[in-house]
This record gives sequence, C-alpha cells and structure tokens, in this order.
Amino acid sequence: MIRLSIILIVGLNTISSVLASSIDRSLYIISDSIQTVDSIYIPYLSFNETDIYTKDSPIINIYSGDTLKLWVYNLDTITHNFSIKDLSDNYTIQAGDSVYVEQVFMDEGLYIYHDPLNYPKNTYLGLAGMIVVNDLDVQNFYWNIKEHNAQWNSDLVNSLDVDWGNYVPKYFTINGNSNPHINSDSLARITGAVGETLYLNIANTGLSVHSMHFHGYHAEIMYSSAHANHVGRIKDTFPVYPMETLVLKIEPHQPGEYPIHDHNLVAITGNNIYPNGMFTTILITP
Amino acid sequence: MKQLFYILFLAVNLNATAQDETTFIFSKMDIEAQHILWDDTPTMLMGFTSMMSSNIDIPGPTLSYFEGNSVELKLRNMSQGASHTIHLHGLDVNQQNDGVPHLSFEVGHNETESYYFLAPHPGTYLYHCHVTSALHVQAGMYGLIIVKPNTGINETWEGGYTFDSEYAWMSSEIDLAWHEDSIINSPHDTTSMEFHLPDYNPEYFLVNGRSEQQLTEDGIAVVATANEVILLRLANIGYYGNTYHFPMLLNARIISSDGRALPSIELSDSLTIMPGERYQVLLQSTYEIEEEIDLDYFNLNTMEIANTQQIPVSISGYFSQTESTLGKIKLYPNPSSDKVIFSKEINFISLFDGKGRLLITKHNSDYINISNLAKGIYYLNIDSETKTIIKQ
Repeated sequence: MIRLSIILIVGLNTISSVLASSIDRSLYIISDSIQTVDSIYIPYLSFNETDIYTKDSPIINIYSGDTLKLWVYNLDTITHNFSIKDLSDNYTIQAGDSVYVEQVFMDEGLYIYHDPLNYPKNTYLGLAGMIVVNDLDVQNFYWNIKEHNAQWNSDLVNSLDVDWGNYVPKYFTINGNSNPHINSDSLARITGAVGETLYLNIANTGLSVHSMHFHGYHAEIMYSSAHANHVGRIKDTFPVYPMETLVLKIEPHQPGEYPIHDHNLVAITGNNIYPNGMFTTILITP
Repeated sequence: MKQLFYILFLAVNLNATAQDETTFIFSKMDIEAQHILWDDTPTMLMGFTSMMSSNIDIPGPTLSYFEGNSVELKLRNMSQGASHTIHLHGLDVNQQNDGVPHLSFEVGHNETESYYFLAPHPGTYLYHCHVTSALHVQAGMYGLIIVKPNTGINETWEGGYTFDSEYAWMSSEIDLAWHEDSIINSPHDTTSMEFHLPDYNPEYFLVNGRSEQQLTEDGIAVVATANEVILLRLANIGYYGNTYHFPMLLNARIISSDGRALPSIELSDSLTIMPGERYQVLLQSTYEIEEEIDLDYFNLNTMEIANTQQIPVSISGYFSQTESTLGKIKLYPNPSSDKVIFSKEINFISLFDGKGRLLITKHNSDYINISNLAKGIYYLNIDSETKTIIKQ
C-alpha cells in the first residue's frame, strides 16, 4: 500500500511536468488616447501586443503550472515600471528600453499586471491588464473595469498634480467601453445557452469600488484576490475593490436578455448622461 | 372529444389555483415636498405606496411572501408623468417580469400592469423602479421584499437558524439637488433613453428613510432582552458603501447574502455592504446593553467616510446586584460610582465598554477605580473570566 502511494505521487509529478509549458509574450507600453462614450478623446496609455496602439491591454491566458516568459518594451518617452501584482518583482523600464520577466503561475486565479510607478497614477491612466490562469474548458468572458476623469487624464500626462482624495470620475467603462458599446465587445458581452457553464473574469484596475449586479441569475464566486473567504458565495451583486480580481461562475437556468450593471447607479452615467456607463446585458438562448 | 375537453378544463383550473398571492402597489410622485428629513427639511419624492391615498414614504411598503408563493404584483402608476416599473432585485425572475423598460415593459401614467413570479429562496431582496434608475431610485422608488420559509416558525430558511425577533434596515442617501422640481419633475420623454443628471453629493444618510434622532423610532432601534436571537435584514439601495459596526457583545453572526446562505457563518463585529447587496445577520447578547450600532457611509471613489449614523440598541434582562460573585471572587458594590472592590487580589484586571474598547487595565490589585467613566454598562475581565458591572 505504501509503495502504491509512492508510485501514484511520482506519476502525478510526471504528468504535471509534461503538461506545464512556457508561454512567450511581448507587451509594448504606448501612450495615446481613449475615446469616451460622448466621443471625446482623452490621454490614455496601454500595454499592447505589438508596437501598434490599441486601448485594450491584452488578456494573457495560461494554465496553472505554466511559465510566462514576457518581454515588456517601453515605447513611451518617460520611465515606466512593470509588475504582476502580488507575484513578481517590480521592474523599472527606461524610455526606449525593455525588461524580461519570467513568472511561474502555480495556481488558478486572475492576476493584474500593471505599471505601479507613482501608484495610482500610471495604473489609473490605463497601464493595467489581466493574466487568467484557468485550467477549465469553459466559455470565458473578461471585464477590465475602471473609471475616468477626462481633466485628470490631461493633467496627469502633463505632469500636473491631482488630489487623489477628491476623485470624481465621469466615465465608467468595461474594457474601455461604456453602454451601449460594451455589448459590441465579444470578450465582455456574456452570451451562452441554458445549462452551459460560463466564467466571468473581472479585474478592477480603476480607483473606485464597483458593485456589479446581475439580473436574472445568481453566480458563484470562484476566486477573489482580496477576499478569499468570499469564495463559494452565491450572490447577485458583487463588489469589486480597486485592484481586486474576481472570477464568477454562471450557470444560466433560464433564457433571456438581462442587464448586468454597477449598482452604484451613478456609475451608469457617462459625463452625467444616463445610461451611458457601466451597463451591459447577458444574452442566454434556450 | 369529450376526453379532450376534460383535460383542457383541468389545465385551466390548475393555472387558476396556482395564483395564491396578489399584491397591489401604486407608484406616485409628490406635487410638493412632504417628506420631512431629520432636520425638518422637507423633500420631494417619487415612491411606492400600498394605498392610493397614502403619502409617499421611503422605503416603500415591504412586500412579504412565503417560499413558493405564486405572486401577482400589480402596479398602478399614478405618478402624473413618468413611466415606472418594478425590478424584482435578486429574485431572478424571467425577462418579461424583470422590470427593465427596454427589455420587458414599463407602466405608463394611469395604467395598471402585473408582474408574475414565484417567491424563491427565503431571504431579503429589493424592488425598485428601473426607469432612469439612477434618478428614480434616488427619488425614493424602492422597498424591501422578504421571503420567509413555509415552516410556520421564525426560521431564516427551512432547517436554518431560528430567531425571536427581526429588524429590516434599508440604507440610502439623499442629495437634495436630485430632488429639485426641475430634476425630479422634468419632462418625461419616453422616446429618449438618455437623461442628464447632476453630480451626486448626498447630504442625508438614511436608514429606512430616517436618520439622527429619528433612528430611535420603533422598528429601527433594537429593543430586546438578553439571550434573545435577533435577525437583522440589511440592504443597501444607496450609491455609497456602508459599514456596520456591531458592539462586540452582540456576538454578530453573518449568515447569508443576496438570498443565499453563506458557505460558512462568519463571526465579525463589522460588515460592509455595497450598493445592491443584502446581508442577514444574527445578534444575540447574554448581557444587558445600552449601546448603538454605528453605520458608516463612505464614498466609493475615495473610500472616505462621509457620515456615521447610530442605531440605538437596548438589551435588557440583567438584574443588578449589590454584590456579585465571579467564581470564588466577590466584587462590590455593583452598580458603583467610584470603586469596585474584589474579595481578593487579582492578577490581571481589564475593563471594556460595549464596543469592546479596552478602557482600564490593572495588575495585582483588589479594586479598580471607575469614577472617571461615564454612566453605563461595562465588562470586566478578571483573569480571563468576564463579568458585567454598571457605573451609576
């Protein structure tokens, strides 16, 4: 019996080492702008997969046990930092320079990579994305949620001071979009069928707490970076704190189209216009 | 042919008997400010009432059902302008009955429509209007839905926790700028989805529409006896975060959220509830307490506490003694205004108030001096055993 146990353990280790792999990725820090729901362009920065700017910092999907081998290039004109929150060291990247980051992810979860320099300044300005470590064969959706104050973005990129204790955001976005454009983002808009298992990966890279309410369904908390004791709770409203990540499992029991939105209802506005904020719908077919 | 008719008849009959709860509710809007805030400021509301002639109050009437009830909730809109809906927050009803205007239906002025649903898991839920929801909720269009188990006893859910009494507190805020006639009574263009709203800077922080000295009202202030099990139903319909601070001696146990039991009970003297969330908490004190539960309202952008409300808690049932015995140690007098004397020297003495704050420590003494304390009930820990003393 003892010998059998030893053989089993060796066997598992072998399987694990065979399945684990290395993931090679590159990220490019680029300063540009983001378009608000009312068509104003405000200064913004993001990580990009190539040297061509998009507002969306890429989602990096890997399996547990994988090693992420990452080159981060700073294409901005000022120094930036890079870190995987709560996991990696903090790397300094001079303008025009690059760093190599290697990180093993042993556990399933959802992690934020970001620029922590002068926190929250650079993270607030857009330099934050997510790393999803998930071994399940399920349909995944991804929300990088945050808020914006247009004047602050302009002030910050011009090296002016802002009063972080008096933050009043005016725009509320999921993956950089506000209602009604969130539903056009196939990564954000949750779709599926009754009986399927759907995972929603949420990273709050903003400065405000967002309290996301589901119509039509309860969901189960599968992972919380900030509140491990919340795992297993089945709820319809999910607070997500700044720099917290949350993974939810939804198993739709009924068809229909139902809203999901921040229940701080001020966050459903965009520059004070309702309902141009953090509002989307889940669409479930029979 | 005869057999077919019989089957159809049965089906119609079953459908009729399944409808076992009908509730009528009215949506209304104030013509002039009538809701009086704690400092006598009147404010104008939109809201729900259970009778057409009733003044609007916040929250609206509590809707109570038993698990499994088949409910018809009729909404009669008497608001003179805006369309309204009822969103059954947390009940997971089907799309048709979800109360979101462009995805189900809205109820125009002078119209009556019905929402149909089965009362689900026992727990605490909300309802609110989902038309221009940021405005209509702030205006007062919200209330609680309570679903109880069909067990005939005070029980959280079948096989759950029994309790002796219950309180339901719905927290919210009021920003008077949002209640100005130009905002709350603005033209209602049902063809437009967009609506301009002011910045949100609330001045009033409410529990069941009340604050400050109004929190002593029946139904808000907790009045109970020692060992009584109290169920708190807590809901946040505001746009700020809430943190409740429970006196340590209330032994708060957090048991459920959003209509579902937590995987495990959590013992905590504080609980944060964000907009749209609900929690159920059990309180039970073995001591007599005259304290308050503090409720912080904090800004979700800055996390700064904007206001703290205090909900009185009075737990009676303690019988005063002029001389008390703690194991083999006697202490006297109790109540006292000056010193409490022990029958022998104590290695370590610590004294706490009702919130668990440590006020006095003393080593190797046969007395403590409490003359500097305010009148009240305090908790004495003598060599790891606890005793209540009263300051006269």
